[in-house]
Amino acid sequence: MWTQDKSLNLSILLVRILFILIIILACCVPIMVHWYDITYPNGIGMIDGSIFLPLSICLYLTAICGEICLYHLGKLLENIKNSIVFKKTNCQHLRVISWCCILTAIPFFVFGFWRSLSFIVALAAGFFGLILRVLKNVFVGAVELQEENDYTI
Amino acid sequence: MPIIVNLDVMMAKRKISSGELARRIDITQANLSILKTGKAKAVRFSTLEKLCEVLDCQPGDILEFRKDDSHAD
Repeated sequence: MWTQDKSLNLSILLVRILFILIIILACCVPIMVHWYDITYPNGIGMIDGSIFLPLSICLYLTAICGEICLYHLGKLLENIKNSIVFKKTNCQHLRVISWCCILTAIPFFVFGFWRSLSFIVALAAGFFGLILRVLKNVFVGAVELQEENDYTI
Repeated sequence: MPIIVNLDVMMAKRKISSGELARRIDITQANLSILKTGKAKAVRFSTLEKLCEVLDCQPGDILEFRKDDSHAD
């Protein structure tokens, strides 16, 4: 039977797999970008020329943000697994994850000048960061309620 | 917080220990400690009622409002 515990374990496992996958992909960035540059040399963008350097920088910065994000996501899931839900530490994790998403939008926004389609990715990342920020604010409120409940004698 | 809990004063007056008071009002010693140290965010009427009954006092003997200058306009 599918339980809450199994669901959490699956989430933790997926986060760990993705963490390793990003490291592997980050090592392959030059190869991937070179392939992309050769395969799609004529993309729509304001700046012409090779995208090798801008796309490589963009992907490396995104990979760093992604790894930080996944690390905190893993910590958050482990806390939930250990029944530590409405605590300040989780708000901090959500805050970092939210900022990572927002920061991810910046390199994609800049890369949008080479390939306009990247603006959509930047918008999606920023929007996702904003949603997580709201979620963090909800968590902060929940933590206050929990503390009030815990300290009501 | 401008609400001061004078529970330890009343306990000293009535010569009652923390353990004894916690047992008689049916709360844990940890919760009584939270109350005594002023960390509590709220006190249930039922708890206050039991405290007053056991310590033979009025709510005003346990709780005191002291104006906090840092909260002044």
